[in-house]
Amino acid sequence: PADIGDAAQARARSPPAPITDVARLCVCDLLVAQCDINCCCDPDCSAEDFSLFTTCSVPVVTGDSHLCSQKAAVYSLDVEANPPERIFKLIDQVNPSVFCIHATNYEQALYLKSPEMPTPENFDQLLNQFGSATFSAEPDSWDLDTDAQSPPDANETYRYEYGVPVQTEDAFLRLPSPVVSSWCSDANPAGFLVNQATKCIRSVSVERCDSIQALSMLFYINSSILASVFQVNITVQSIVVQSLNGMRNLLNDSDVPRLPMVVDELCINAVLGVNYHITYTDTGEIIEAAAAFVLGAISKEALSIEQSFEISFTQEDTKPVPLSGNPGYVVGLPVRAGFRPQGYPFPAGFLFAALALSSNKHSQLTLLQSTSTQDCLAAQGARAPVLFGYNMISGCKLRITAAMKCQPLAQTLLDVLKGQSFPEYVASFGNSQAQDVLDWVPITHLHISEQRISNTLQSSCQIPVALGIEVKWTKYGSLVNPQARIVNVTATITTTTLKQLPSGRERIIPVTSSVVFTDISSPAEPGFKAWPTINIKLPFDFFYPFV
Amino acid sequence: NSSSQLSSLPLQILFYVNGIYYIFYFLATLAMIIYKSQVFSYPDDFLAPDLAVLFLMAMLEVPRLYLGVKGNLTEGEAALGLSLGLTVGSVVLALYLLLWQTYVLWADVVLNALLLSAYGLESGLKVTAIAAFVS
Repeated sequence: PADIGDAAQARARSPPAPITDVARLCVCDLLVAQCDINCCCDPDCSAEDFSLFTTCSVPVVTGDSHLCSQKAAVYSLDVEANPPERIFKLIDQVNPSVFCIHATNYEQALYLKSPEMPTPENFDQLLNQFGSATFSAEPDSWDLDTDAQSPPDANETYRYEYGVPVQTEDAFLRLPSPVVSSWCSDANPAGFLVNQATKCIRSVSVERCDSIQALSMLFYINSSILASVFQVNITVQSIVVQSLNGMRNLLNDSDVPRLPMVVDELCINAVLGVNYHITYTDTGEIIEAAAAFVLGAISKEALSIEQSFEISFTQEDTKPVPLSGNPGYVVGLPVRAGFRPQGYPFPAGFLFAALALSSNKHSQLTLLQSTSTQDCLAAQGARAPVLFGYNMISGCKLRITAAMKCQPLAQTLLDVLKGQSFPEYVASFGNSQAQDVLDWVPITHLHISEQRISNTLQSSCQIPVALGIEVKWTKYGSLVNPQARIVNVTATITTTTLKQLPSGRERIIPVTSSVVFTDISSPAEPGFKAWPTINIKLPFDFFYPFV
Repeated sequence: NSSSQLSSLPLQILFYVNGIYYIFYFLATLAMIIYKSQVFSYPDDFLAPDLAVLFLMAMLEVPRLYLGVKGNLTEGEAALGLSLGLTVGSVVLALYLLLWQTYVLWADVVLNALLLSAYGLESGLKVTAIAAFVS
């Protein structure tokens, strides 16, 4: 009984034998136990069905036509007879070619191979052979060690690519972030070169605060990052202690890790924020990792605290300069500007001071920021950065009294409009480097004076009342991915005459500053490659002996 | 005068014709194997023996014909006997190409049949020549 069962199982598992008899082969027989229309080879059709057919969809069934002589089943309809009947003939078809196959000693030559039925014994081998996205018809006897994956070379440096999670010895460098809800999830890996800043809420209880891992500094620095041959430990860069009322103090010694403790119904040294700084080389290896902590105190009533995490990547030996686009400007990012440092001759190659291009806000292209008081003289210092693509207008009101002198007033207004350090050059691309001289566009200054024709030109004082910055930009690059490039920056100062006021009188004049971005891109032209030139050179003695 | 000269003229003519025919046979069979490998499914496991047999036959043919010609002209039965032995090997290989090749085309059948008939005729003439030389 056991073997009969096995035999039956084996039979059930093997596929049905392929039909090679042309008389029994019918490709148009699709419906089981029903007659297919116009299918002359269908065994389910009766003579009455045949009499209703108009033509035979399959007129002849043969084997491989390369064979010299083979059997062929020919089906046709005899429409002359009444009723029409099907004629079935079995003939020998002869291939007259000299290169017809007389015989083969290889069964799979003319028939498709029946696939192997998977059994528990050959399942693994079939999975290896056919389990991947591609497989070849030949057995892969020449790559025997596809199973044995070559282990990562210990000497090979561990390089990261953009977005790849930064690996540590146990898992990934975690950057807790809110997932779905605002609660912190520790499973968010930090991606290489992906600067992230996240804030999330963690539930705490003061009694158990020394046992909650996520509140302790060690949780964030105990794993070491896998990088190149050795592992990079995460060092503590600085510790800032935040008190309950929000005041922060930078601690002098940050070598000793401070663990959370319960003191007087408060939990102190709880981690409120971590700021990772990872330094990498230009080949993608991580060489340094530092973490700056913000520790704080949790009061007894607090059931949850908000933690903030940030990670930033810096290339070694460089100062981080925030780019405004790569390469074209991105709408909404500040327009980068800089100065030519004094002492450098013009035009022989000049460099910009790196300081001018750092994230120091005062050297960016800035605009007067309107304040609630709207008083120009009181609003000195409040400036808003010019963001690419955003036209802005701002202003203030200037109250002029009789006692004001012209020249100082003009100078003050110029300072108000232009700011303390109005840059001289603007980067044409969002990622222009300071060394690339040609990538920087000088700011052109124009002067318009609002003159009424009747007024006399001389001996009246001109004070600037409006600053208009016009930034002309163009689309640069390919049609499908155009990059914004600043071509021209013009700063226009409009001045007006200041009439002397009788004493005791006041006048209020509006002062405006605006920035406008104009797209001057020309329509795209198709660029074709140059026709290839045929470069035929005859040898120099080709016309010997005539030359 | 036929008694003074024992070398067989028909055998010599047959050797000459066989040599020319064999060159044609070898090139034609090689070309057909290449054609078959492109048009049909011809895995390497099956292609290698067929090519090996063809090249082995070519390597046998040269000494076979040389020994036969030399033996016939010098009326030496040893060389002719050796040539007869090599002919047996060539016949076996030709039978393989006729019957047990992976794909036997109609042209293969014709070429091999002609070659086998030439071998058969040659063998018969060699036997008579050896008999004439020995006696």
